[in-house]
Amino acid sequence: MFFNVNITKSLSDNLKMGESTIQQMILEAQKHAIDTIKLEPNERSLKIELLIKKYINLDFMSKATTGSFWKKASETQKEKYKVALLKQIVLTIEEHLNTLATLSYKPTKSERRGEKLIYVRGLIEDPNKKKPDINLLWKLAANKNGSFLILDLEIEGISLVSSQKAEAVSILRKNRGNFDILLSKMSRDN
Amino acid sequence: MTKKYKFLFVKFIAALFILNGCSNSTKFASENRDPFEKINRNVFQFNKYVDQKIISPISKTYVKKVPAKIRSGVSNHLQWMDTPNTIINSALQTDMENTILASAKFLLNGLTLGFYDLDKGETVIKKRDFGSTLARLNVSEGPFLMVPLIGPKTTRDLTGTILDRQNMATLSSNSIDDLSLAEVPINIIDKRSKMSKTLDNIYLSADPYVKVRSFYLQNRRNEIYSEKYIENKNNNLDAEFEKLLD
Repeated sequence: MFFNVNITKSLSDNLKMGESTIQQMILEAQKHAIDTIKLEPNERSLKIELLIKKYINLDFMSKATTGSFWKKASETQKEKYKVALLKQIVLTIEEHLNTLATLSYKPTKSERRGEKLIYVRGLIEDPNKKKPDINLLWKLAANKNGSFLILDLEIEGISLVSSQKAEAVSILRKNRGNFDILLSKMSRDN
Repeated sequence: MTKKYKFLFVKFIAALFILNGCSNSTKFASENRDPFEKINRNVFQFNKYVDQKIISPISKTYVKKVPAKIRSGVSNHLQWMDTPNTIINSALQTDMENTILASAKFLLNGLTLGFYDLDKGETVIKKRDFGSTLARLNVSEGPFLMVPLIGPKTTRDLTGTILDRQNMATLSSNSIDDLSLAEVPINIIDKRSKMSKTLDNIYLSADPYVKVRSFYLQNRRNEIYSEKYIENKNNNLDAEFEKLLD
């Protein structure tokens, strides 16, 4: 009985931690959007990069988006891929940061999935009701220090990890797992 | 419709069904099932060229010159014109709630020819088309296709789109049919203006064709299969994620 109460408590604690991680990140992102508007583009990117690094599990995302090819990559290629992936995320966030500042985020539901994962659902709303609501789903897991990091984000059901994986794996397959070709294609669009 | 045209139309729909039949019958086909990839990639290049040279500049001018209120009215009207398809297909899918809500909204907004949303977005209607009806009848989605000037589709959705167009042509009088022909380019420009940032971002990615395919299939499956599909997809992804976290 006591054991059961403890499990329920730790489960609700984890959910709360997951939710507050997302809330905190959104608040920081909105603050960033206002604070960094007058900065030089490079400085702004650097600030956003620091913010993202704090909240996402880049190691996991890199593995998840390259599938079985990850094991075949050299350490240098792995590091380069992480940098390129981070750069892509920064670019995407940068483009939407100004819009985010004018919209509001409302958490809706969170749930525990399996042994390690937590789903945090929320809505991006336009206070003027001129734009339709956007459904978001954040997938998180605790790292070794016990803090929660983002593994994937689904916007209206479209998973960013799945899309990136489809793209990276397609290039790797066509080039017999050659990471350098993938990296050159990624750096070309950066 | 002339006899010759009717015959060609029936033949085309039959060919699409055969294409569907040739595909394996799994309902949630893998994202990589793209047997026509080589042709699709060429069509994608053509569509991208047309988009960048013609559609995108027009759409940018449209956003710049036309006031937001008028654009919103045009967008509302185009959605309203498409509502009969939702009504018919919701009924065919025995989704009575959606049929009634869509019918009520269609009649209400009909007072302004759909240019103004009189219930101010209060009634949420799920968009239904013949592609989703075919999915409900367990027709497999079939191979992925990149259709010239139309964009990404599966064979099932292309069949659905053609039948939806056919439905509208049968339902409407000649004058409305002419009007809807004029609306096709406006519809394209309206949609392009809403997707401006997303499309420009896609073109910059390492493999834009795969990104479009991935976005389209994920989005379309979410629309059609809703809760059931999402749960199935998430269970698979959860297992994969947990393994990677070990």
